[in-house]
Amino acid sequence: MSAPLVLLPSDEVPKDHLPTNSSNPLRLGPGLRILSQPSSKGTNHVLTATQAGLLTTDAKRNTVSLLSFPNRRYIPTVNDFVIAQIHHSSVDFFHCMVTPHTAHALLGQLSFEGASKKTRPMLKQGELVYARVQSVGLGAGAEVELTCVNPATGKADGGLGPLTAGMVFDVSTGMAARLIRASSSSAENTDAIDGLVVLSELGKKLESLGGFEIAVGRNGKVWVDCSNAAESAVKVTIAIGRCLQETDQQNLHTHDQKKLVTKILRDMKLVS
Amino acid sequence: MVGPIASLSQLNRADGSASYKCPATGYSILGAVNAPIELPARRDALKPEEATVEVFVKPGTTTAGVGERYAEGILRSALGKIVLGREKGFPRRGLVITLTIVGGENVERGDSYLTILPALLHAALLAMVSASVPLSMTFSATLLGVTKSGDIVRDPSPTAAKAAVSLHAFAFSSKNHLLLNESVGRFEFDTWELVRERALSICQGATTSTDGDVTMGEGTASASLNGFIRETVEDQIYSDYAYKLDSI
Repeated sequence: MSAPLVLLPSDEVPKDHLPTNSSNPLRLGPGLRILSQPSSKGTNHVLTATQAGLLTTDAKRNTVSLLSFPNRRYIPTVNDFVIAQIHHSSVDFFHCMVTPHTAHALLGQLSFEGASKKTRPMLKQGELVYARVQSVGLGAGAEVELTCVNPATGKADGGLGPLTAGMVFDVSTGMAARLIRASSSSAENTDAIDGLVVLSELGKKLESLGGFEIAVGRNGKVWVDCSNAAESAVKVTIAIGRCLQETDQQNLHTHDQKKLVTKILRDMKLVS
Repeated sequence: MVGPIASLSQLNRADGSASYKCPATGYSILGAVNAPIELPARRDALKPEEATVEVFVKPGTTTAGVGERYAEGILRSALGKIVLGREKGFPRRGLVITLTIVGGENVERGDSYLTILPALLHAALLAMVSASVPLSMTFSATLLGVTKSGDIVRDPSPTAAKAAVSLHAFAFSSKNHLLLNESVGRFEFDTWELVRERALSICQGATTSTDGDVTMGEGTASASLNGFIRETVEDQIYSDYAYKLDSI
């Protein structure tokens, strides 16, 4: 691994940083674009950055991308999991809010598992759904469409659908991406992934109280539910939310995350 | 000479933010960027394929007036040139930049707004970088004053700016394009040419031959304003991704 490289807009990606795997084409992640300069011997292609960020490459999948600032706004991308809030309902669609101050995303009334004209969920204003971005449309002013089923199987894969009970906390989009990476790879390795131990630490400490359930949306929302915890359910939910938000805002290291979890749980008189 | 001080991503709720303080002129600016967002009114009818850039300048103690409107116009056209408004999620949306003057002397009504333009431009650029707005390039700006004796002064203080014969604000992109050129006062073209060369060397450092190459000499990079912008951004990235860099 070469030294970390930070690029600013208009910086070129140095050739020696690109993955050398040539079995499949190079894929560009967000924040990079390809510019062609016509020269005397054909055209010359250069990769330049359009955002500031840390250059990362994945040799196995032959990708190159920029890790940008974690506080940025979420821009819907196909296949992302998001937590959306219903704004209002119309004949064919639920109009959902994914990020503040943007146009509503559309969620079909029938895009739920096993939904038909008679058995569709009646969601009210303010209710939450865990959905996948189905399409973002083409061109200017296109509408974002969400779905709660996998169109191939007709099943709600990965817990898609309405989120009942629980509570939503706002985190930065960078933190949300970290949480998703951490949870997707935690099956074989429960150690610090991306320097994130807050969730596994909470899991260990709260096991006696019945554990908890979380859903992470790419749009910087985390839904936490621990209805198993009976009378202390509200306290546990708040504690988890506080741990996540403080880890995010103060950019804590792994040992600080462990300290934070212990401190907050003791403050809220959950674990002695 | 004391260099400027800047930091990124200070505000939690904005998509991007930056604070910038220039000790020489005394101005301190807090900038916030929200993008891409839905504009309340359809102000994008002229260019539906691109993002609309909106700039608001808020003086610390009074309401915005004609002078601020004028500065907003200059900033909007300068920043609009480097924003890639056709990237994903941006067409037909708005890019709202709010710049608050939190420190330094007030620009009196009727005074030149040039003195504060470089600080506003830097705060706006850093806030846009922090919001991950797609940009074609970065830039840096500087203010130069020409005194009665013909000396060129860098970043004149408000009193020195009042006494100066002419004031010039320049912005150069990271590829050495002249991005902004605003001047007030009486001057000749030869003077302007001298001032432009001086401004270019301030923004780019001594090495003017490089065309925005990544592998800049470390020594010259810190002296120039472009190098300052780069260092500020790098510091923030390194601290944000400390967890990733530790494991390497």
